[in-house]
Amino acid sequence: MNRHQLEQLVKSVHQEAYIWARQCCGFDGNMARDVLQQAYLKILEGKAEFSEKSKAKTWLFSIIRYTASEEYRQNSRQIPFLDGMDLPEPEAVHQAEDHEELLQYLPERQREVLLLIFYHDMTLEKAASVMGLHIGTVRTHYDRGKKNLKKLIEKKKAHEDAR
Amino acid sequence: MKTQDSGEERDLKLFFSELKKRDEKLSIPDFPKPQKKKHIGWLPIGIAATFIALLWFFYPTPPSSQIEGDIIIITLVEGENQEQELLIEKTTYMDVWEPQTSSLLTEF
Repeated sequence: MNRHQLEQLVKSVHQEAYIWARQCCGFDGNMARDVLQQAYLKILEGKAEFSEKSKAKTWLFSIIRYTASEEYRQNSRQIPFLDGMDLPEPEAVHQAEDHEELLQYLPERQREVLLLIFYHDMTLEKAASVMGLHIGTVRTHYDRGKKNLKKLIEKKKAHEDAR
Repeated sequence: MKTQDSGEERDLKLFFSELKKRDEKLSIPDFPKPQKKKHIGWLPIGIAATFIALLWFFYPTPPSSQIEGDIIIITLVEGENQEQELLIEKTTYMDVWEPQTSSLLTEF
Protein backbone atom coordinates (compact mmCIF):
# COMPACT_ATOMS: atom_id res chain seq x y z
CA MET A 1 0.00 0.00 0.00
CA ASN A 2 1.52 3.30 -1.05
CA ARG A 3 1.42 6.58 0.81
CA HIS A 4 -1.51 7.97 -1.16
CA GLN A 5 -3.65 4.88 -0.59
CA LEU A 6 -2.79 4.95 3.08
CA GLU A 7 -3.75 8.61 3.28
CA GLN A 8 -7.11 7.89 1.64
CA LEU A 9 -7.72 5.00 4.01
CA VAL A 10 -7.03 7.11 7.07
CA LYS A 11 -9.08 9.98 5.67
CA SER A 12 -12.10 7.69 5.27
CA VAL A 13 -12.25 7.07 9.04
CA HIS A 14 -11.06 10.51 10.12
CA GLN A 15 -14.27 11.55 11.87
CA GLU A 16 -14.48 8.40 13.97
CA ALA A 17 -10.75 8.63 14.62
CA TYR A 18 -11.12 12.13 16.04
CA ILE A 19 -13.98 11.08 18.29
CA TRP A 20 -11.98 8.10 19.56
CA ALA A 21 -8.92 10.31 20.09
CA ARG A 22 -11.06 12.69 22.12
CA GLN A 23 -12.40 9.81 24.19
CA CYS A 24 -8.84 8.58 24.80
CA CYS A 25 -7.85 12.09 25.91
CA GLY A 26 -10.48 12.54 28.59
CA PHE A 27 -12.76 14.37 26.13
CA ASP A 28 -10.17 17.11 25.67
CA GLY A 29 -10.53 18.35 22.09
CA ASN A 30 -7.19 20.14 21.87
CA MET A 31 -5.21 17.20 23.14
CA ALA A 32 -7.18 14.94 20.79
CA ARG A 33 -6.08 17.07 17.81
CA ASP A 34 -2.44 16.78 18.82
CA VAL A 35 -2.70 13.05 19.40
CA LEU A 36 -4.45 12.52 16.09
CA GLN A 37 -1.82 14.54 14.23
CA GLN A 38 0.95 12.47 15.83
CA ALA A 39 -0.86 9.22 15.04
CA TYR A 40 -1.25 10.23 11.37
CA LEU A 41 2.42 11.17 11.19
CA LYS A 42 3.38 7.77 12.57
CA ILE A 43 1.30 6.14 9.87
CA LEU A 44 2.43 8.28 6.95
CA GLU A 45 6.08 8.12 7.94
CA GLY A 46 5.83 4.35 8.09
CA LYS A 47 6.48 4.11 11.84
CA ALA A 48 3.21 2.23 12.20
CA GLU A 49 2.72 -0.42 9.59
CA PHE A 50 -0.67 -1.47 8.35
CA SER A 51 -1.23 -5.18 8.44
CA GLU A 52 -3.97 -5.80 5.91
CA LYS A 53 -5.26 -8.65 8.03
CA SER A 54 -6.69 -6.25 10.56
CA LYS A 55 -9.36 -3.79 9.62
CA ALA A 56 -8.15 -0.27 9.05
CA LYS A 57 -10.36 1.15 11.78
CA THR A 58 -9.10 -1.32 14.40
CA TRP A 59 -5.51 -0.61 13.39
CA LEU A 60 -5.96 3.17 13.49
CA PHE A 61 -7.79 3.06 16.82
CA SER A 62 -4.99 1.06 18.43
CA ILE A 63 -2.41 3.61 17.21
CA ILE A 64 -4.50 6.49 18.55
CA ARG A 65 -4.93 4.76 21.91
CA TYR A 66 -1.21 4.09 22.14
CA THR A 67 -0.30 7.65 21.10
CA ALA A 68 -2.69 9.12 23.69
CA SER A 69 -1.15 7.05 26.48
CA GLU A 70 2.32 8.07 25.25
CA GLU A 71 1.24 11.70 25.39
CA TYR A 72 0.08 11.27 28.98
CA ARG A 73 3.38 9.66 29.91
CA GLN A 74 5.57 12.23 28.16
CA ASN A 75 3.77 15.25 29.52
CA SER A 76 3.28 13.69 32.94
CA ARG A 77 -0.35 14.50 32.63
CA GLN A 78 -2.66 12.86 35.05
CA ILE A 79 -4.58 10.04 33.45
CA PRO A 80 -8.14 11.07 33.93
CA PHE A 81 -9.39 7.56 34.48
CA LEU A 82 -8.68 4.98 37.11
CA ASP A 83 -7.00 1.84 35.94
CA GLY A 84 -8.43 -0.58 38.46
CA MET A 85 -11.25 -3.03 38.10
CA ASP A 86 -13.63 -1.74 40.72
CA LEU A 87 -15.69 1.37 40.61
CA PRO A 88 -14.74 3.91 43.21
CA GLU A 89 -17.56 5.24 45.28
CA PRO A 90 -17.82 8.76 43.99
CA GLU A 91 -19.84 10.99 46.21
CA ALA A 92 -20.35 13.48 43.47
CA VAL A 93 -21.72 11.21 40.75
CA HIS A 94 -24.96 13.10 40.84
CA GLN A 95 -23.04 16.27 40.01
CA ALA A 96 -21.92 14.86 36.70
CA GLU A 97 -23.38 17.23 34.17
CA ASP A 98 -23.33 15.04 31.13
CA HIS A 99 -22.66 11.58 29.80
CA GLU A 100 -18.97 12.29 29.26
CA GLU A 101 -18.48 13.31 32.84
CA LEU A 102 -20.33 10.25 34.05
CA LEU A 103 -18.07 8.01 31.96
CA GLN A 104 -15.06 9.53 33.63
CA TYR A 105 -16.03 7.85 36.88
CA LEU A 106 -15.34 4.49 35.28
CA PRO A 107 -11.91 2.86 35.44
CA GLU A 108 -10.00 3.48 32.21
CA ARG A 109 -10.21 0.04 30.66
CA GLN A 110 -13.87 -0.43 31.48
CA ARG A 111 -14.64 2.90 29.87
CA GLU A 112 -12.55 2.07 26.80
CA VAL A 113 -14.13 -1.31 26.18
CA LEU A 114 -17.65 0.09 26.60
CA LEU A 115 -16.92 2.92 24.19
CA LEU A 116 -15.43 0.57 21.62
CA ILE A 117 -18.37 -1.83 21.77
CA PHE A 118 -21.37 0.41 22.34
CA TYR A 119 -20.21 3.61 20.67
CA HIS A 120 -17.96 2.36 17.89
CA ASP A 121 -19.85 -0.90 17.24
CA MET A 122 -16.86 -3.18 17.60
CA THR A 123 -16.87 -6.78 18.67
CA LEU A 124 -15.07 -7.97 21.79
CA GLU A 125 -12.30 -9.43 19.60
CA LYS A 126 -11.74 -6.11 17.86
CA ALA A 127 -11.84 -4.22 21.14
CA ALA A 128 -9.21 -6.64 22.48
CA SER A 129 -7.11 -5.95 19.41
CA VAL A 130 -7.37 -2.16 19.86
CA MET A 131 -6.53 -2.40 23.55
CA GLY A 132 -3.76 -4.92 23.05
CA LEU A 133 -5.26 -7.24 25.66
CA HIS A 134 -6.32 -10.85 25.78
CA ILE A 135 -9.97 -11.35 24.99
CA GLY A 136 -10.63 -12.92 28.39
CA THR A 137 -9.32 -9.81 30.14
CA VAL A 138 -11.36 -7.56 27.88
CA ARG A 139 -14.48 -9.60 28.61
CA THR A 140 -13.94 -9.10 32.34
CA HIS A 141 -13.55 -5.34 31.89
CA TYR A 142 -16.63 -5.35 29.69
CA ASP A 143 -18.82 -7.17 32.22
CA ARG A 144 -17.65 -5.03 35.12
CA GLY A 145 -17.92 -1.88 33.05
CA LYS A 146 -21.52 -2.58 32.13
CA LYS A 147 -22.49 -3.15 35.75
CA ASN A 148 -20.63 -0.10 36.95
CA LEU A 149 -22.00 2.21 34.31
CA LYS A 150 -25.50 0.97 34.98
CA LYS A 151 -25.01 1.78 38.67
CA LEU A 152 -23.77 5.25 37.83
CA ILE A 153 -26.68 5.91 35.51
CA GLU A 154 -29.15 4.73 38.16
CA LYS A 155 -27.53 6.87 40.85
CA LYS A 156 -27.68 9.90 38.65
CA LYS A 157 -31.28 9.19 37.70
CA ALA A 158 -32.30 8.65 41.32
CA HIS A 159 -30.76 11.98 42.23
CA GLU A 160 -32.52 13.77 39.41
CA ASP A 161 -35.86 12.18 40.33
CA ALA A 162 -35.43 13.25 43.95
CA ARG A 163 -35.03 16.88 42.99
CA MET B 1 -18.51 -11.96 18.88
CA LYS B 2 -21.30 -9.54 19.49
CA THR B 3 -22.76 -9.77 22.95
CA GLN B 4 -26.37 -10.68 23.47
CA ASP B 5 -28.89 -7.98 23.96
CA SER B 6 -30.34 -7.78 27.46
CA GLY B 7 -32.22 -5.33 29.63
CA GLU B 8 -28.96 -4.01 31.02
CA GLU B 9 -27.53 -3.54 27.59
CA ARG B 10 -30.61 -1.73 26.37
CA ASP B 11 -30.05 0.96 29.00
CA LEU B 12 -26.43 1.22 28.05
CA LYS B 13 -27.25 1.38 24.36
CA LEU B 14 -29.62 4.22 25.07
CA PHE B 15 -26.92 5.97 27.08
CA PHE B 16 -24.40 5.66 24.25
CA SER B 17 -26.87 6.63 21.56
CA GLU B 18 -27.55 9.84 23.52
CA LEU B 19 -23.82 10.39 23.75
CA LYS B 20 -23.50 9.90 19.99
CA LYS B 21 -26.26 12.38 19.39
CA ARG B 22 -24.45 14.98 21.47
CA ASP B 23 -21.24 14.26 19.57
CA GLU B 24 -22.96 15.12 16.30
CA LYS B 25 -22.58 18.73 17.38
CA LEU B 26 -18.84 18.36 17.77
CA SER B 27 -16.74 20.25 15.29
CA ILE B 28 -14.49 17.75 13.64
CA PRO B 29 -11.14 19.23 12.62
CA ASP B 30 -10.20 18.99 8.98
CA PHE B 31 -8.04 16.10 7.98
CA PRO B 32 -4.56 17.50 8.54
CA LYS B 33 -2.55 17.85 5.40
CA PRO B 34 0.51 15.81 6.13
CA GLN B 35 3.55 18.00 5.63
CA LYS B 36 6.09 16.47 3.41
CA LYS B 37 9.33 16.13 5.23
CA LYS B 38 12.04 18.25 3.74
CA HIS B 39 14.18 15.46 2.52
CA ILE B 40 17.70 16.31 1.49
CA GLY B 41 18.65 13.50 -0.76
CA TRP B 42 22.14 12.23 -1.29
CA LEU B 43 22.07 13.17 -4.98
CA PRO B 44 22.63 16.94 -4.62
CA ILE B 45 25.29 16.31 -1.98
CA GLY B 46 27.04 13.89 -4.33
CA ILE B 47 26.90 16.35 -7.22
CA ALA B 48 28.32 19.13 -5.05
CA ALA B 49 31.13 16.91 -3.77
CA THR B 50 32.06 15.84 -7.32
CA PHE B 51 32.04 19.44 -8.49
CA ILE B 52 34.34 20.52 -5.67
CA ALA B 53 36.69 17.59 -6.33
CA LEU B 54 36.89 18.44 -10.06
CA LEU B 55 37.45 22.09 -9.32
CA TRP B 56 40.27 21.25 -6.94
CA PHE B 57 41.81 18.79 -9.40
CA PHE B 58 41.76 21.02 -12.47
CA TYR B 59 42.36 24.36 -10.81
CA PRO B 60 45.59 25.79 -12.33
CA THR B 61 48.17 25.93 -9.64
CA PRO B 62 50.10 29.22 -9.64
CA PRO B 63 53.72 28.86 -10.75
CA SER B 64 55.95 28.62 -7.76
CA SER B 65 58.34 31.50 -7.47
CA GLN B 66 61.67 29.80 -7.26
CA ILE B 67 65.05 31.39 -7.01
CA GLU B 68 67.35 30.99 -9.93
CA GLY B 69 69.24 28.18 -8.39
CA ASP B 70 68.35 26.00 -5.49
CA ILE B 71 71.90 25.53 -4.39
CA ILE B 72 74.31 28.31 -3.65
CA ILE B 73 77.95 27.42 -3.27
CA ILE B 74 80.12 29.89 -1.53
CA THR B 75 83.79 29.22 -1.89
CA LEU B 76 86.65 31.05 -0.30
CA VAL B 77 89.44 31.27 -2.76
CA GLU B 78 92.86 32.86 -2.76
CA GLY B 79 93.28 35.64 -5.29
CA GLU B 80 96.29 36.66 -7.31
CA ASN B 81 97.52 39.07 -4.67
CA GLN B 82 97.21 36.54 -1.91
CA GLU B 83 93.81 38.00 -1.09
CA GLN B 84 90.93 35.94 0.11
CA GLU B 85 87.91 36.17 -2.17
CA LEU B 86 84.46 34.80 -1.88
CA LEU B 87 83.25 32.99 -4.95
CA ILE B 88 79.50 32.55 -5.16
CA GLU B 89 78.02 30.02 -7.55
CA LYS B 90 74.41 29.16 -8.16
CA THR B 91 73.22 25.84 -9.50
CA THR B 92 70.01 23.85 -9.65
CA TYR B 93 71.62 20.55 -8.99
CA MET B 94 74.81 19.15 -7.74
CA ASP B 95 76.06 15.64 -8.34
CA VAL B 96 79.50 15.88 -6.88
CA TRP B 97 81.11 18.86 -5.34
CA GLU B 98 84.62 19.05 -4.22
CA PRO B 99 86.10 22.00 -2.45
CA GLN B 100 88.60 23.86 -4.46
CA THR B 101 90.93 24.10 -1.53
CA SER B 102 92.30 21.16 0.21
CA SER B 103 91.67 22.61 3.63
CA LEU B 104 88.19 21.14 3.95
CA LEU B 105 89.45 17.76 2.95
CA THR B 106 92.55 17.70 5.08
CA GLU B 107 91.83 19.92 8.05
CA PHE B 108 88.23 18.91 8.76
